[in-house]
Amino acid sequence: MAILELAGVSAGYGPVRVLHDINLQINAGERVGLVGLNGHGKSTLLSTIVGLTGWQDGSILFEGREIGGRRTHGVGRRTPGIVRQGIALAPQGDAIFPGLSVKDNLDSGAYTGPSWRSRKRRRDHVLDVFPPLAKLLGQSAGTLSGGERRMVSVGRALMSDSKVYLVDEPSLGLAPKISLSLVTALCNIDLGDGAMIIAEQNLPLLDGKVDRVLGMHAGELKLDVGEALGDIPPSSGGHY
Amino acid sequence: MIEVLISAFVLASMYGLVAIGISFTWASIGMLNLAQGFIFTAGGYTAFLFAQIASSANLTGPLLSIGVIVSGMGGSAVAGLVVGAIAFLPLQDRQNFRTRSLIATLAISLIGAQLWLLLFGPQSKPLPPIFGDGRINFGDTGIGVGQLGTIIVASLMLALVIMWMRSSRSGLQMRAMMMNPLGAAVVGVSVRTTGMRVLAISGALSGLASVLLAQIFFVSPTSGVQPLTVGLIISLAGGLGSIPGTVAAAGLIGLAEAVTARYLQQSLVPFVQFAIVVLILIFRPRGLGGLLEDVRE
Repeated sequence: MAILELAGVSAGYGPVRVLHDINLQINAGERVGLVGLNGHGKSTLLSTIVGLTGWQDGSILFEGREIGGRRTHGVGRRTPGIVRQGIALAPQGDAIFPGLSVKDNLDSGAYTGPSWRSRKRRRDHVLDVFPPLAKLLGQSAGTLSGGERRMVSVGRALMSDSKVYLVDEPSLGLAPKISLSLVTALCNIDLGDGAMIIAEQNLPLLDGKVDRVLGMHAGELKLDVGEALGDIPPSSGGHY
Repeated sequence: MIEVLISAFVLASMYGLVAIGISFTWASIGMLNLAQGFIFTAGGYTAFLFAQIASSANLTGPLLSIGVIVSGMGGSAVAGLVVGAIAFLPLQDRQNFRTRSLIATLAISLIGAQLWLLLFGPQSKPLPPIFGDGRINFGDTGIGVGQLGTIIVASLMLALVIMWMRSSRSGLQMRAMMMNPLGAAVVGVSVRTTGMRVLAISGALSGLASVLLAQIFFVSPTSGVQPLTVGLIISLAGGLGSIPGTVAAAGLIGLAEAVTARYLQQSLVPFVQFAIVVLILIFRPRGLGGLLEDVRE
């Protein structure tokens, strides 16, 4: 069953149209990689799902409920409502709270709904996924390194009681070793009947770890990634 | 000397309440609320109305004091929500929100003063003494019960709000919104709901300051102007959005006013206050808060 269904979605900022007629189905339990070069709309696609683009059009169904539709202004006005329904986004550039401690940053992910009460258990779960954060809990998030910040940002998304997790460029700006361990950790999380979309420029990082890889080019989805990027040997083990 | 210090503390605690509100509002929703003076006066008049009703009902003693404080805070909180409904909600996601809301709140402030004049007339309205008229003497100096009460109640309220900001869920949400609005949105914090909450709390703090100040100066249509000016000065000098910076700046400005009024001249007070702010901003453009707060970006 499709947990997230986009039909004819376009979006952009002001006069600039970034997404062109996107149709996409994400099924429950699925982990999807979204690959493509810089500036081809990966981040915009994830932002559109939670209503953070300048304008948008087209239907976005989340568990059968319409969360998209036509919108010409009000950037982010609907975002908290959509997030509360169960879609968590770890945005590009982290957007963590520099003056709060790592612990408060993680807890902030559980602001919505019933997950606030179970935040201790959830925090422990996030620390299992990202063990390096355990020692940093009391530290102010503004003093962390890039990799640690990314972990906080992604960990914050995991704190929520969400069905769909959208992770934007987890490897951006990180050392290869760190980004590999981060992506591996992300791909080992048990999704249950939820789903996860990981936007990523570095295709080999996702190699064999995700159920499906979608390519993005000039604001349109290219489902056949091997052809679109041309550098993936068919025997690499993933299900493209 | 001690008397100067005491009066500095009294001034600092009252100004601090107003300044923290201005500072919170600016840091969380990006609105420089020039209607804070209007909100301040609203609390004074609400408390005055309550005191009139209370005196016809023969209410006295601690119940009257608590009622005056609570009604003042309530009146100002409602005024804060009204300002939010006019200057924040309709403008919030338009272009140039900061400038537009600045103009809107300035308009509310000007219209508000006329509204009070229309409703209550030009005459100043007294509030009943909250803490009594006694005086505690030690040696050759002493402290008025009113002064002591003002310091205690204001610091207690400030401490409560700061503790609440640090530990509760809504407090965390507000601080999160101050530091990163995008991050707040993706964890489900609504700028509009939280913004209105901030305005109500800032209003309530101003209302408390209003009731406390009315112990010294009576409530009049323009009695919010002075606290607004000083509150703006303090929140600027403290570094907008920084709690410790604002508290430090409130102490400094209160001390400056007390010392100037005692050893120089009352009329020189604004001059000295502005001079201090200009000096602070020359050497620390982000205000005192830059000294005390953790890394922010």
